[in-house]
Amino acid sequence: MAAAADSSGDGGTSSGEKTIVLVSSDNSARFEVREAAALLSQTVRRMIDEAGADASGDGITLPDVDAKTLAKVLEYCNKHAPASSSSSAAEAAPPAEGEEDLERFDREFVRVDMGTLYSLVTAASYLKIEGLLNLTCQTIADMIKGKTPEQIRKTLGITSEFTPEEEDEVRRENAWAF
Amino acid sequence: MGAGASDLAGVEPRGKVARAGLGDLPELCAAEVLLRLGAPDVCRLARLNRAFRGAAAADFVWEAKLPGNYGRLLRFVDDAEEGGSGRDWSAVGKKDVFARLAKPVPFDGGKREFWLEKSKGGICMALSSKALVITGIDDRRYWINMPTAESRFQSIAYLQQIWWFEVVGEVDFCFPAGTYSLYFRLHLGKSSTRFGRRICSSEQVHGWDKKPVRFQFSTSDGQHAVSQCYLDEPGSWILYHVGDFVASCSEESIKLKFSLAQIDCTHTKGGLCVDSVLIYPKGFEPERVIKAQK
Repeated sequence: MAAAADSSGDGGTSSGEKTIVLVSSDNSARFEVREAAALLSQTVRRMIDEAGADASGDGITLPDVDAKTLAKVLEYCNKHAPASSSSSAAEAAPPAEGEEDLERFDREFVRVDMGTLYSLVTAASYLKIEGLLNLTCQTIADMIKGKTPEQIRKTLGITSEFTPEEEDEVRRENAWAF
Repeated sequence: MGAGASDLAGVEPRGKVARAGLGDLPELCAAEVLLRLGAPDVCRLARLNRAFRGAAAADFVWEAKLPGNYGRLLRFVDDAEEGGSGRDWSAVGKKDVFARLAKPVPFDGGKREFWLEKSKGGICMALSSKALVITGIDDRRYWINMPTAESRFQSIAYLQQIWWFEVVGEVDFCFPAGTYSLYFRLHLGKSSTRFGRRICSSEQVHGWDKKPVRFQFSTSDGQHAVSQCYLDEPGSWILYHVGDFVASCSEESIKLKFSLAQIDCTHTKGGLCVDSVLIYPKGFEPERVIKAQK
């Protein structure tokens, strides 16, 4: 997935479509992606708008996303990107793939370990990719639906940070729901 | 489910730093997860850790669970509570707004009440027998009011016997947009407690097998339903389904009229408890439901 560095941020694919270079936080990887895919991220969109005419060929560095996660995120974006990438159409246009195909892809996409899922949620939140945020959060929600905090802590190895007093307070604050 | 249980947030072999996991989710991400869960789950997860506790208190998480017209619904709360009209609801956290609306809000002098169903946030409403127009209700030969803990209104209308059995009601309310089902909550036979056990007596039950009862229902915007069925299951409270309706706009109120009748005067009928009319979000069936035939 990591493409060779392209000195011009405006590098094109063989079909001539505009591409954008995204760089991971540790600077270890550079990814050249179709503009339509990159613009699924509202954060990237804003960064491009702010950079304006000064956009250098160095690509856009994403300080909060490491290489492994970025690669995975871009896998999602490439799959979900609309066929055309004119900036207003990018949101409104349907993705090039079929509905069923995308659902299957999404289901497989979140078949990952908890650590990766966690990285994807935080990346989707930081990059403001609505579809990915929705997919990952829904996956987590489905995992923890109906479970008690004790069960979740046991399954996922989370320790409670609460003091007994805090624990009591939280319990009281939330008793109305049961 | 794809998460490998073996990959937990914890220390890896050789003392490497633990990989981040669900417990390290920042509050904002935790809130995004809570947006996709019902109130009971959110309140349970508040006990998980500090990030989830913070997220579980976030206004935007609860605002998304409230019905669109909750401002209007809060006015009923003000009317119902002493000194309530002075309260500034904009200063109240949305979680507390949800919690208040999840408790019954009485209106019409306590003869009716509504509340938010906790799991999905839909509006439920109950109309007591006192809110309904029952033919002959004042004649003790026919009807008596019986106190009972089995009714949320603490009392039901018990039919001893009558020729003309008719129960009619109406409600005018700003139901949040959605689909609802309307039921009559009925019980064939009289129940009592003896030595701590519930006993049901069918002595006075008669006449229901001769002809079916008829349910009718209509709305101010043209929705309607008619059905009938035989009442033949004594001993337990049953929700008899009258029909479904769609409230299309939370801002506008919809007027419903409904009735239950068996007016064939060649025979008497009796031994029936009429508790209430219930309006629930479609699909919410906390008790046994019987759907009548068209």
